[in-house]
Amino acid sequence: MDNGATMHLAVSLLPGTADTSPGEEPEFSGLAGLVQRAEAAGIDMVLLVDSAPASSNNAANSTVPFEATTLLAALATVTSRIGLVAAASTVAHQPYNLARRFASLDIISHGRAGWNAVMAQAPREAANFSRPEGFSDTDFRRRSEEYIGIVQGLWQSWDLDALLFDKTRGRFHDPEKMHLLDHKGEFFSVRGPLNVARSPQDKPVLVLSGLTEADFDIAARTADVILLESGSVESAKARFDDLKRRATAAGRDPDAVKVLTNISLTAEDKPAATADRLETQFRAKSCDGFNIRLPQQRSALDDFADRVLPELRQRGLVREGYRGTTLRSHLGLAGGGDQ
Amino acid sequence: MTARMKLGAFLWATGHHIAAWRHPKAYVTAGIDIDHYIQLARTAEAAKFDMIFCEDAAGLREADVGIASQTSRSIGFEPISLLSALAVQTSRIGLVSTASTSYNEPYGLARTFLSLDHLSRGRAGWNLVTSASPIEAANFGSTGLKPHADRYERAREFAEVVTRLWQGKAPGHDGQSFSVHDPLDLPRSPQGAPVMVQAGASDVGRDLAARTADVVFTAAQTFEEAKAFYGDLKGRMAAYGREPDDIKIMPGVSPVVAETEAEAREKHEELQALIPDDVGVALLSSYLSISDLWRYPIDGPLPELPESEGMKSRQALVIEQSRRDGLSIRQLARHFAGARGHWRIVGTPAQVADELQARFEGGAADGFNVMPSYFPGELDAFATLVVPELQRRGLFRRDYEGNTLREHLGLKRPA
Repeated sequence: MDNGATMHLAVSLLPGTADTSPGEEPEFSGLAGLVQRAEAAGIDMVLLVDSAPASSNNAANSTVPFEATTLLAALATVTSRIGLVAAASTVAHQPYNLARRFASLDIISHGRAGWNAVMAQAPREAANFSRPEGFSDTDFRRRSEEYIGIVQGLWQSWDLDALLFDKTRGRFHDPEKMHLLDHKGEFFSVRGPLNVARSPQDKPVLVLSGLTEADFDIAARTADVILLESGSVESAKARFDDLKRRATAAGRDPDAVKVLTNISLTAEDKPAATADRLETQFRAKSCDGFNIRLPQQRSALDDFADRVLPELRQRGLVREGYRGTTLRSHLGLAGGGDQ
Repeated sequence: MTARMKLGAFLWATGHHIAAWRHPKAYVTAGIDIDHYIQLARTAEAAKFDMIFCEDAAGLREADVGIASQTSRSIGFEPISLLSALAVQTSRIGLVSTASTSYNEPYGLARTFLSLDHLSRGRAGWNLVTSASPIEAANFGSTGLKPHADRYERAREFAEVVTRLWQGKAPGHDGQSFSVHDPLDLPRSPQGAPVMVQAGASDVGRDLAARTADVVFTAAQTFEEAKAFYGDLKGRMAAYGREPDDIKIMPGVSPVVAETEAEAREKHEELQALIPDDVGVALLSSYLSISDLWRYPIDGPLPELPESEGMKSRQALVIEQSRRDGLSIRQLARHFAGARGHWRIVGTPAQVADELQARFEGGAADGFNVMPSYFPGELDAFATLVVPELQRRGLFRRDYEGNTLREHLGLKRPA
């Protein structure tokens, strides 16, 4: 694994910034074109944010007319290499349903799916999900950790070689290789097993965002990718070192947790200056790469792919094309299957 | 134009026959192969089916892991992700998925189906179920399966909130089971609202359907049962200010079709012979909501059974058939395992078309949900043998009349 030398790149397409004019029928093809463009550029993954209700007056105001997991499924059928990560709320979904949805997405995408769990409560979400009282921050944190544990546990319900497909002997699967979860916790009780087969990349990638420092231990124990807001190089480096230390303390290889810094780019940014900015942060070992937030416009993505990326490639900071077929393999994570 | 029947293509695992996966031509890796489903969807679309229908359960189907391991039903795609993928790989066919009112919240479900509706440009539908399986219940808390009446009360409230959300309204709802305040953050459905499908056949199930459903999927073995159900359900609609034509009743049918009757029978026998006794009895037990059927002599009659909190209507159907035909547990198990309690027709394209025509014209069905025994073979057979026969008789469309699922089904666009 030689990924230490090159940065990982994710692209987030921000809602509310699409090219579509008001009143126009929501278009899948435009979004698909953007993701295909990101794939042609060799980006590790696209993050699909979910525009869950932020306030009571944004009805029909969203320009991403799709819920993120359904959008991911559709995008999976029109792409072949790029990783696809969807945000899905721990308040909006039951853990069994969410684990199932992503396990299924992972099979549909042939091992390119990831779940973005947001560690911060979305405003007003609880009010629409029969939880008018909401959660205290500490309850929400404990609940999130339990939730993540259930989802990751359910993703291990079936061993890799559990399915036999033996028509003659009438053995579809090996019952010894199917595992119950039997989870009984503070917030949830889930028996399992999941009724979706094992992931082609071992398990879907877990991306955590919206973290405060109080979430760092949970993230270091469970996440494959952690997204952090940008700050000074020094503060970013301190957080990066802190997270890697905590991962080591949790018994994990620090390289098994990728820390990406969120960067917002606008049309005004000059390509060389942007490349300099990313290079400085990356060479200072303040992150493993970046999550580039772009407006949902072809021109913004083209600018990044045609002008910034070649600059970074020339400096040897970004790998040329995909080496594997799964998201884990793009990210240099174990279980990628084809590294 | 005379009325045309509606057809659903019920896609399910390796096939609807419990032993389908063991058939030499069955596509055994269906549960992990998206390309297989894309192919099935395209076959159904080319044959002008109104919709693809997906059943669902959030858990294993069989309580016994040994039994489960002999069927192909323990793993498969989660249907909403599956249909979202199919939405952009098809252009006309409707896409209907089952989802439970017991293990979802109305805001999330309404939003997800509306998203599927946008991805498919107005071809989505939701099949409401309350979930009768204790296996599913164990994946959502430790309190066990709720009583039938409570599940339906929750379902009624759930459907009411979803309807308001799809109308673009802020529900401002604080009810017994749910509180939902804001409108959805997605634009209105291209077909007004996704199509609402229901399958419950109990008394409260029928009332809920009469009030809210656009399509009703049922299990009826005989013409008389089907006609009685049809009349009863349509009769309940006036009380809710609805016209009989506002609901399309589509019983499930599991045809085994071949060019000649002898070939069809042979094909059916080949499938029946693949059912292990323990699997058949276990499946029958689940329909009867009892766990110890295996204790009784397999060649003897059904024991007396208490009324269950699970699937009331399915249980009654099984018991009635066992009494009527004097069937042993083994005979009953094979019979129900084959088509899972649904109506089965074994015969030539003309014979199958005759049976469908009789129920359609006899006031027992507006269409049918076709449940192929195994995939892809039996869907192909229906598409290439039965559909042309129905078209020749003027009973089924030769091309889509519109673009949305509501247009296919001839349903009004909701206000």
